[in-house]
Amino acid sequence: MSTMFADTLLIVFISVCTALLAEGITWVLVYRTDKYKRLKAEVEKQSKKLEKKKETITESAGRQQKKKIERQEEKLKNNNRDLSMVRMKSMFAIGFCFTALMGMFNSIFDGRVVAKLPFTPLSYIQGLSHRNLLGEDYTDCSFIFLYILCTMSIRQNIQKMLGLAPSRAATKQAGGFLGPPNPAGKFS
Amino acid sequence: MSGGRRKEEPPQPHLANGAPKSSAWSKALRSDAAWEDKDEFLDVIYWFRQIIAVVLGVIWGVVPLKGFVGIAVFCLINAGILYLYFSSFQQIDEEDYGGTWELTKEGFMTSFALFMVVWIIFYTAIHYD
Repeated sequence: MSTMFADTLLIVFISVCTALLAEGITWVLVYRTDKYKRLKAEVEKQSKKLEKKKETITESAGRQQKKKIERQEEKLKNNNRDLSMVRMKSMFAIGFCFTALMGMFNSIFDGRVVAKLPFTPLSYIQGLSHRNLLGEDYTDCSFIFLYILCTMSIRQNIQKMLGLAPSRAATKQAGGFLGPPNPAGKFS
Repeated sequence: MSGGRRKEEPPQPHLANGAPKSSAWSKALRSDAAWEDKDEFLDVIYWFRQIIAVVLGVIWGVVPLKGFVGIAVFCLINAGILYLYFSSFQQIDEEDYGGTWELTKEGFMTSFALFMVVWIIFYTAIHYD
């Protein structure tokens, strides 16, 4: 096995480990707490209820019905905000951890071609895919590009497999506030 | 892809937005199955997309199929196969799920990233190792 392919596999392995580490940290700080479990159950129940109500409401629905929905939306928004605040603790811890890890990995893989891309990336992607690499061959892949792709695919799938991804109804209703919790953060 | 009579099934417990239970997979392989739990069907769509991404990534890396043609063909096949699956094989009403676009979007970006990773790995392993 060549050094380059060994690096490719190593980066996939690092990505799996960091995804599991991120979920582990989040589990310790957030998922296992009663507050989070309670809030999550509440948000999912409210989201589903609200979605069902919105589906059945008609144009001629009374002002009272519409006001009721608005109140429920407001309540849901507040719960989503509280949920996001609870998750923020783990986000800081993960951010701190991963900044240190990324610094370490970047220096280890600095200047190393870790894979060959079967396509030539667009020029604005080359800044990432060819980062800190010598030469003009833009099919050379840098650590950070492969790591980002791995994280985008692996972390989301791990969350879904472990049942830790938020429900779709909750994600949809949370869209207006901080945005849905992003399980596939590029640098975590 | 026969249009058999829709069978009524008791609702199965399902982990919302997670891995579908085995009963969901047996329904997924049956034409025109009844899906009381919409999240369950969306999860099936999601995981089918990931499987397609892995399979196409391996094929594209081995052949090899290179360039943006590879990416474009992947997108077409991924969207096309799933479209045929939910519209012809399962014969679901797209409006129940927010329209064809919502079904097409489900899990697409993650499957695209997964396809890229697998494609790169196999291409590097077979053609540059």
